Amino acid sequence: MSSQNATAALSPREKYYFLARRLHSLTGLMFSGFVCFHLLVNSTVLVSGESFQYCVEKIHTLEHMGLLVPVEMATIFFPIAFHTLFGIVILLTSEPNMTDYAYGGNIRYTMQRWSAVVILVFLALHIWHMHWLGKPFGGAKFDPENATTTAAAAMQSWSLWAPIYVLGVMATAFHLANGVWTALITWGVTIGPRSQKVSGYVCAGLGAFLLVAGLGAVRGFMTYSVARDGGETAIVEHVEDGGH
Amino acid sequence: MSKKVKVNIKRQDSPDSGSYWQSFEMPVEVGMNVTTILLRIAATPTTVEGEKVAPVAYDACCLEEVCGACSMRINGKVRQACSALVENLLQEQPEITLEPMTKFPRVRDLLVDRRRLFESLKRVKAWVPVDGYGERGTPERMSQSDQEESYPLSRCMSCGCCMEACPQFNDKDDFIGPHAVSQAILFNTLPAGKPLEKERLDALADAGGIAACGNAQNCVKVCPKDIPLTISLAKAGRATTIHTIKRFLTR
Repeated sequence: MSSQNATAALSPREKYYFLARRLHSLTGLMFSGFVCFHLLVNSTVLVSGESFQYCVEKIHTLEHMGLLVPVEMATIFFPIAFHTLFGIVILLTSEPNMTDYAYGGNIRYTMQRWSAVVILVFLALHIWHMHWLGKPFGGAKFDPENATTTAAAAMQSWSLWAPIYVLGVMATAFHLANGVWTALITWGVTIGPRSQKVSGYVCAGLGAFLLVAGLGAVRGFMTYSVARDGGETAIVEHVEDGGH
Repeated sequence: MSKKVKVNIKRQDSPDSGSYWQSFEMPVEVGMNVTTILLRIAATPTTVEGEKVAPVAYDACCLEEVCGACSMRINGKVRQACSALVENLLQEQPEITLEPMTKFPRVRDLLVDRRRLFESLKRVKAWVPVDGYGERGTPERMSQSDQEESYPLSRCMSCGCCMEACPQFNDKDDFIGPHAVSQAILFNTLPAGKPLEKERLDALADAGGIAACGNAQNCVKVCPKDIPLTISLAKAGRATTIHTIKRFLTR
């Protein structure tokens, strides 16, 4: 009886709390999938400039079907926007106490929140720097037609981009790996301490792999030789060797 | 020559007044615990400066780590005063510091109001419903394995250590706390507790329920009764996931 009445009087916060928290976890997992794909594609620059250009062109075949923006919005932008906004709400309910209770789990809990802040700043810079959304603000240095050259030129245009991307990749690899580990607990997949330990090693491995891929991509773009002869379009197919 | 111990205590005269530190010194006794320290101070409440002060207010009851009343921050970590032995504490640091728990409203000195802890247990209906006079018959027998999983959860003494150490348990959110989640899981496992199973899962899926957990896992580290709280939290995660999907689909 009373619970029925209470249901009618629930505030939106009370009503959607559980759903929002679960969506936060789900959108994190969705974005994780994208990040794995993104870093792997980027790391192909280590093979050759053409390899990266080839991958970008394959992705941009979606554009010819008019699907690139919808797919981007549905699988990347809306999930990460929700994850970020609700993540800030969650962050504001946290009172980290790592100095009093310096246990592994608590340190990872605190680092999850610090890395979130680093990623928030990094993502804003990164989207401005590379994505077409940054165009109105003088960014958008990446051009899919000349993917390798423009990405490399953008990375080499300022001495601080490399350290910023290294920091961004480190924060992302940690946040993703630890986020997958906690998501497995949140959804009730890993329940006992032993299964959580095993999943911890697996997630750490995933994080390490992404870290290597991401740092490799940063190195690949930093060392890719961009034609600097004044001609602004050095089309990648015509560059003889994607030397690194 | 008896060894002496210096004890620094964070004091507060009333719920609204500010806090201040006072230090006391006394000889170390064999098997001395923090409650003994507070008893000695009560007998001769004189600070190291020689000032006579009001005795330190504190909570204690069973003195054998089963009632949960004497939780406080000892050397910066929450634990029971009765089972915190001075000789062990002095190995952590040369002087002992005593502070009240920070997550509950302070009443006076080391005394706090743990009402929110019991309100959480009410929210998840952590009891067997036995109102009325009707014959209920004998509840179904529990399997040996269910008994073995449930017994550790039944050791919870509502001391509040898990809530004090939890970074998600604070005034900014209304998290019910690890102990309440664990008790909900316990009573959902007991055959006699089954009639309220869905109501408990509803409560766990409410605002401040299991979803507020941030997986810092401090709770299981500080629990004086070694209750596998993180197992209960993950079980609650699984149960509420299934429960809310079923609830949505049957609406």
